[in-house]
Amino acid sequence: MSERVKIKNRWLVLPGMLFFFTAYLLLGLKDFDVQAFVMAVAVPGVFFMVTVMLPKLIPADRILLTLVNFLCGLGILVLFRLNPERGFGQVTNYAVGLIGMIGCLLIVRFWPQIKWTMPMIIIVSIGLMALPLLIGTVKNGARAWVKMMGINFQPSEIIKVALLLVCAFMLARRMVVATLAFAGICLGLLFLQKDLGTAMLYYSITLILVYVATGSLTFLSLGTVGAGAGAFVGYQMNTYVQNRVKIWQNPWDDPYGVSYQVVQSMVAMVNGGPWGTGLGLGNAKIIPEVETDFIFAAIFHEFGLIFGVCVILMFLLIFLRGVGVAKRARSKFHTLLALGCSCVIAIQTFVIIGGNINMIPLTGVTLPFLSYGGTSMVSSMCIIGLLQGVANANERGLEEDQLIAMLGEES
Amino acid sequence: MKLIKRKLRIAVITVSILLISLVAYGVYSLGVSGNRWFSSSVNTSLRKVKQGVVPGRIYDRNGIQLAGANNKGERLYHTDETTRRSLVHVLGVPDGTVKNGVETFMSYLLYAYDDSYVRRLSAAFSGQMRNGYDLRLSISSGLSRMITDQFPKDKSGAVVVMNYRTGEILSLNSFPNFDPLAMEGVATNPQKPYINNVTQWRSAPGSTFKVVTLAAALANLPDAMERTFTCTGAYQVGESIITDAGNATHGEITLQRALAVSCNITFAKLALELGDEQLRLTAQSFGLDDHLLFSDLVVENSRYPSKDRIAKELAWTGPGQSVLFVTPLHMCLVASAIANDGVMMAPKLLLQALDHHKQGKAQMTPLVYKQVMTAKDADIIAEAMRQVILSGTGTRAAVPGLKICGKTGSAQIDGQESTNAWFVGFIDEKTLPYACCVVVNEAGEGSRHAAPLARQIFEYIKTQR
Repeated sequence: MSERVKIKNRWLVLPGMLFFFTAYLLLGLKDFDVQAFVMAVAVPGVFFMVTVMLPKLIPADRILLTLVNFLCGLGILVLFRLNPERGFGQVTNYAVGLIGMIGCLLIVRFWPQIKWTMPMIIIVSIGLMALPLLIGTVKNGARAWVKMMGINFQPSEIIKVALLLVCAFMLARRMVVATLAFAGICLGLLFLQKDLGTAMLYYSITLILVYVATGSLTFLSLGTVGAGAGAFVGYQMNTYVQNRVKIWQNPWDDPYGVSYQVVQSMVAMVNGGPWGTGLGLGNAKIIPEVETDFIFAAIFHEFGLIFGVCVILMFLLIFLRGVGVAKRARSKFHTLLALGCSCVIAIQTFVIIGGNINMIPLTGVTLPFLSYGGTSMVSSMCIIGLLQGVANANERGLEEDQLIAMLGEES
Repeated sequence: MKLIKRKLRIAVITVSILLISLVAYGVYSLGVSGNRWFSSSVNTSLRKVKQGVVPGRIYDRNGIQLAGANNKGERLYHTDETTRRSLVHVLGVPDGTVKNGVETFMSYLLYAYDDSYVRRLSAAFSGQMRNGYDLRLSISSGLSRMITDQFPKDKSGAVVVMNYRTGEILSLNSFPNFDPLAMEGVATNPQKPYINNVTQWRSAPGSTFKVVTLAAALANLPDAMERTFTCTGAYQVGESIITDAGNATHGEITLQRALAVSCNITFAKLALELGDEQLRLTAQSFGLDDHLLFSDLVVENSRYPSKDRIAKELAWTGPGQSVLFVTPLHMCLVASAIANDGVMMAPKLLLQALDHHKQGKAQMTPLVYKQVMTAKDADIIAEAMRQVILSGTGTRAAVPGLKICGKTGSAQIDGQESTNAWFVGFIDEKTLPYACCVVVNEAGEGSRHAAPLARQIFEYIKTQR
């Protein structure tokens, strides 16, 4: 990265540290909470380490790293404020997520050496995907959770990472039919689990990647029509979906019953107003599932409309930064991988925030980096890891170019 | 590679638009409906907002104080019990038992929710109470009181009076009502006196709906007013036989005459001739099936019945006896649109809001809700409604010296012994642009039990000129 960008990144890291410091200080002073005082020192420290020191060891896109880690920190802050136990839980999730991120970065780095594992990835993915149907538990109408070795997790979140790798890999080799077959099997299994929010995400990602790889407008229009048909079939077959649509159309028909959640989310946002109620002064806990599905409403409630808009814009920046990485990539595989990663984060953000503000029917996907949840955090960080892997490769490519250019001049 | 990067752009633009649309939609919906959500009874934070604020006083259009507050922030009311009762549904009560009264729906003004942070902080440090904004409503407390006095004591129902040129609501009464100073047992009363029957109660409007059927005929049948229909006293549609009140037989009859005498058979034939689609379109142009979002009032959406109906149901829709769901306020808006040359005005309740230093915080501006029909068609319907008063079912609503137009209705409701008595009408005078809708439930015919109350309302307005 050039010198100019490094300076810019410093101007992102510093306000971030200040933000976390004052936020935890405020929480600490409010109830004289020693834990919060410790966090006031620890969080900015970790933030600095991860955004400034880590990229010195492993070259990566610093702005992207800073934005992502700021959002993770914001999630931890809001969860800590809602329920300190959940906040500390999220710290653990974040630590695992960081390891996952570095792991995925290394996977991309050493992909040429390990690409022979592709068939295994595909088989394991499909096996994992089928797992909830065999031993899964039902939550919010979807049979998407599995408990193994004492850990509760959602296979579809992990397979999202595999899907990106597999699609990018196969499409780079023009194996369109194989890609569609793999995505189709995953989608079918998701449909059977009634996890329609995630199915929507998988579908749109596959559609975008296949379109970009083949450039076929016929496929794009067919895919869009197929999405409409799928939505229609899902709507007809599933009363749970019909209820969701009904709530979306008129949430005020039954504000104390079925639409309690989304109505409370809307009310929480308007109570926040442009400037928010102030950190620690709101009552967002009244929204059911505020820590997972409705974390955005909680942020909006306490930090206000302007900050809420900024959070959305940060996701937009992450997306555009990711697209920048895709544009600079030096192989088709890398371009598709980086684009897929950026799109998956952006679309997931759209789906869940859209549900929070009742722009689209609510589905149970999580808000990347912010929602409470180990699987979600790890998968989001792994996706960023893949993206950083491509950024890392771009940089090495650039260095090689310069080296070749230098050698060329000498000879 | 080049091809891929060109295709990238479309994907990037699409996804970026998705994210930006989140911001646009969020800001838009908060701007449009924010106050509505904020003041809904679901908002548990409202109580917190009210702390430390003396609620604003509420005045009627003539400056009579309807509700005040002591400096502890507790509500004080008018000394007269009938006045308190007649206004309880408009004003609401501070604890929100009456949903969406001024007390809750305008709480962002009454409790000065948009006060600056400077003022909030200085109030917090000095320990003083902040002051909410004073409201002046378009309500006439004298008219409201008169209506409460004259309404049958043992009946439920609704009365609404509005200015059809500006949309100002003069009176809005729901029965049964209750005294806000005697709240015990109100919330558990099986009669539900806390429901506002004008805005929250939907029912079949009976023959008053014939004016809408007539509007559909004018819009779709060029020779509608010249034609004659034959009423033989009974008309079979499928297995159902349509008859007229008192088994009357009207013989050869024009549409104008049919409206005057309220001939069910003619309007059933008209509905069948027009068809479901045309009738639906006209009803929708009158605002049925609309998502009603008025700035000062929360109104249930009125509904035209769903599609795929059999002939019998359609035939009964013409005379307004089918499964229609219309609020009394909406029927008043229908009459207003006819009176106002086909232009429906949005109902308004708030004339002015002033803060503690007499600075204006809100000001009423008349707002056109929609153009319902042409001025020419509106004139023809108004003339037919004039005949209702002069020589039809509405003679009991006539006031000497005033040009009254109206339509009566007697809505049959399953499981009720007597019909619900309806009357919608207006004064067709430039200086007195007022329309009203009167509903007396389970009372009998609209001509006998709703029209006389309308006459009293028109007379009251005349004396106040």
